[in-house]
Amino acid sequence: MRRRRGLAAGAIALTALLATSACANVGLEPAPEAPPGFIDELRMPSEAGGSVQGLLNYNWLSPNATVQTWLFEPLMIRDRFTCEAVPWLATDYEWERPDRLVLTLREGVEWSDGEPFTADDVVYTFMAGKEFPAADKSGLWGDFFGAPAESVTAADDHTVVFDFAGAAVPKTDAILQNTKILPEHIYAAQGDPTLFVDEQGVGTGPFTPESYNGRRLVLERNENYWNADEVRVQRLSLEGQYDANSGALKLRSGALDLYRGDIPNPNRSVVAPDPENAHFFYPPDAITALVLNNERPVLNDPRFREAFAYALDREALSQRASFGIMEPASQTMLLLPFQEQAVPEQWRGKEFIPYDPARANEMLDAAGYERGPDGLRVDENGEPLSFVFSVQAGWMDVIAMADVVARNAADVGISVRMVTTDPNAIEGMQKAGDFDMTVDFISGGCQRARDLGAKLQASQISTEQELLLNRARYVNPEIDALIAEWTNTTDESRTAEIEARIIDIFMTEFPYIALQYAPNRLIYRTNNAVGWPSEDNPYPVDQLIRVLPNLRPPGEADAGGADAGGED
Amino acid sequence: MAYYARKTGYFLLTLWAAITLNFIIPRLQPGDPAEIMVRQLNGQGEIDPAQVAAVKAMLGYSNDNVFIAYGDYLRQLASFDLGTSFTYFPYPVADVIGQALPWTLVLVGITQILSFVLGTLLGAIAAWRRNSRFDATISVGSTFVGNLQSVWIGLIVLFVFAYTLGWFPASGGYGYTTPGLTPIHIADVVSHGFLPALTLMVTAPIGFILSMRNTMVQVLGEDYIRLGAAAGLKERTLALGYAARNALLPVITGFALSLGVLMGGSILIETVFDYPGMGRLMGEATSNRDFPLMQAILLATIVIVLTANFIVDLIYPLIDPRARKASA
Repeated sequence: MRRRRGLAAGAIALTALLATSACANVGLEPAPEAPPGFIDELRMPSEAGGSVQGLLNYNWLSPNATVQTWLFEPLMIRDRFTCEAVPWLATDYEWERPDRLVLTLREGVEWSDGEPFTADDVVYTFMAGKEFPAADKSGLWGDFFGAPAESVTAADDHTVVFDFAGAAVPKTDAILQNTKILPEHIYAAQGDPTLFVDEQGVGTGPFTPESYNGRRLVLERNENYWNADEVRVQRLSLEGQYDANSGALKLRSGALDLYRGDIPNPNRSVVAPDPENAHFFYPPDAITALVLNNERPVLNDPRFREAFAYALDREALSQRASFGIMEPASQTMLLLPFQEQAVPEQWRGKEFIPYDPARANEMLDAAGYERGPDGLRVDENGEPLSFVFSVQAGWMDVIAMADVVARNAADVGISVRMVTTDPNAIEGMQKAGDFDMTVDFISGGCQRARDLGAKLQASQISTEQELLLNRARYVNPEIDALIAEWTNTTDESRTAEIEARIIDIFMTEFPYIALQYAPNRLIYRTNNAVGWPSEDNPYPVDQLIRVLPNLRPPGEADAGGADAGGED
Repeated sequence: MAYYARKTGYFLLTLWAAITLNFIIPRLQPGDPAEIMVRQLNGQGEIDPAQVAAVKAMLGYSNDNVFIAYGDYLRQLASFDLGTSFTYFPYPVADVIGQALPWTLVLVGITQILSFVLGTLLGAIAAWRRNSRFDATISVGSTFVGNLQSVWIGLIVLFVFAYTLGWFPASGGYGYTTPGLTPIHIADVVSHGFLPALTLMVTAPIGFILSMRNTMVQVLGEDYIRLGAAAGLKERTLALGYAARNALLPVITGFALSLGVLMGGSILIETVFDYPGMGRLMGEATSNRDFPLMQAILLATIVIVLTANFIVDLIYPLIDPRARKASA
């Protein structure tokens, strides 16, 4: 009897406990109300990379930094659509000579602890990379794309001079955008900055840490931010890491205002249930391209590659791989329509390779690849044209693309067999040059002689040790010479000529065949904030911090031209 | 005595083999940690060689000479130094595991013990009343449920209880409370742990049910059971004291083996519920090629399983007279 009573008491206690805890948001207090004209709070997933939380570290050099966007800031941000450099901590840059870069810093910027931001902070951040190569995230001191730096000095409080061992113009965007400036007065005493666990988070950014309970990080608006007038978000709450399923459910339920993960069909999974508040913007960010191994027979024939480009049905491919959300990509390797101004004169109107199997057949016939008795084309030795398309296992969009490519190829008498493999094994094959066809991404960046040129540069062919950018293993001494010249030039008209010539190679020799654009994803809700980028108001989203000055509470008049975020 | 010496020697040999395999296997996977890390930071896209060089300098690993690396690894282990995690650099591996382990210990520990108790009980009853309706329901039901994917169950549970009904939070180990031994934090933790525990409890007892039922059916066919029944022992005494007690032996071995799950966690369930435990950490360490972290988790798993087995081996003679006789 006694035991029974104990059991009953336990059951009651358990039920009571569950009743009190059967509440989805134990301990959640609503965000304090912000002043009129401000957004109370925006909720987004955690920015830390690792799943284990509670290991606080605001240092952006850590691969698991708790905050990536909102505390430390870059010097300038390259707008991927207009290709202009948007002033941020720096207001301007100039290459005085191909081996000397001069930066002008914004005045009146303060660290969130009240110390002034000066040229010394910039000098410290870059010099740390010299002493500790691990901190050199922009490759300033290495021999990557341009000569290594020799010194970084402060000419005065707001001018920084970079001197290089040789011409180094291609390093521009890495310096401006890939390095976030650290506070010298805090970091300098720590020795190797990559080993420093920063629990304070003193930055120049629009927010400062308010509280962190090991899971949820609350950031508060920085009143002394240099662009504080344009920041109308009082609080950010960053919590949790969600896969696409959970992310979509959280967005639908309103528990997230922003999500950037790979939700494959956001129209159906997020927008359709709540068309008024849930939206997405997937602007092109890079080109997903078919890489043909230019070292292998037949694939090394530009006539074959061109014919193959006409054989591909990119509309069908885009439907299959991205539900038609990502448009077929331009063979100019530019992000169209946004980078229209960069299309060379002779390629205007011809940017996209149409789906034309008849033409592909004609070109293959003309190139001497005749059909054998079984309908398969054969090479000059009578061997059938048969290739393996190596695809990253688990990359569903790429698998869908490869499937369309294989069908299209069969229609013109070429056998393409898809083989899925561990993504890391594919990298190994790319290093060794041991593949026929694979998929690669071509950056839609604005330093085209670098972003496009490196794809064609002989020195960028991968080795067994190092994975480099020229995945097609294309060799052309003319291009190598042009890129060397571009590295050395600060003359804009000559730069444009070189860029045009590089685009010519893509358009005439087809070492890579453009498939569809790869997105930079932004899925958001408009019930708490408006002003997000959209088809009607497009701007690049690769740097999330740029979105912030555009956000306003709903109902407030249009966000206005806060896009640049600068004082200009 | 020979029994104990043999078991101890076997334990040490297995431990060494495990440590060595633990070193070799992670390195057999294709993929370079620095390249993977840069790709994760930048998303699916171009890999910047300058960033890869910086990350390589930061992590400071080298695969140049495997023998030197193996020597370093053994030296580190001897001094109980697990190294620095790649993924959570510059935090040491021990800190990272220290954050994740308690979550899994509590979640998986409780569900595992509950499953063991529930599973053996149901299995024993099913065997005792075999061919009854209860037995049919239990055997067929658990075979059916056992074939369901736990992720699928997890997603359904999540969708119904968290998103549709809104009774429980959908993700995390806790939400908005400050960690500490306060009632509100404990309530927070319980409400977050309920759905993953529920999901685990759907499938976890099944192994115990089936193995208990099978061995018990076998034991019930033994002569001594018939003798006991003939001698007029009470049904309950016969079922619990004679049949169940003997049938339990192999199930206990199964339980010891299943303790490995404690360290390994349940990767898929923890991912679905965004639960901060060892399973996710293990999956993450593997996909990031985080060698130090991966090795530490595998090592801990191996040591726990081996130790549990070793302990079972040592106490076996106490519960099974036959083992006692064999060792004498």
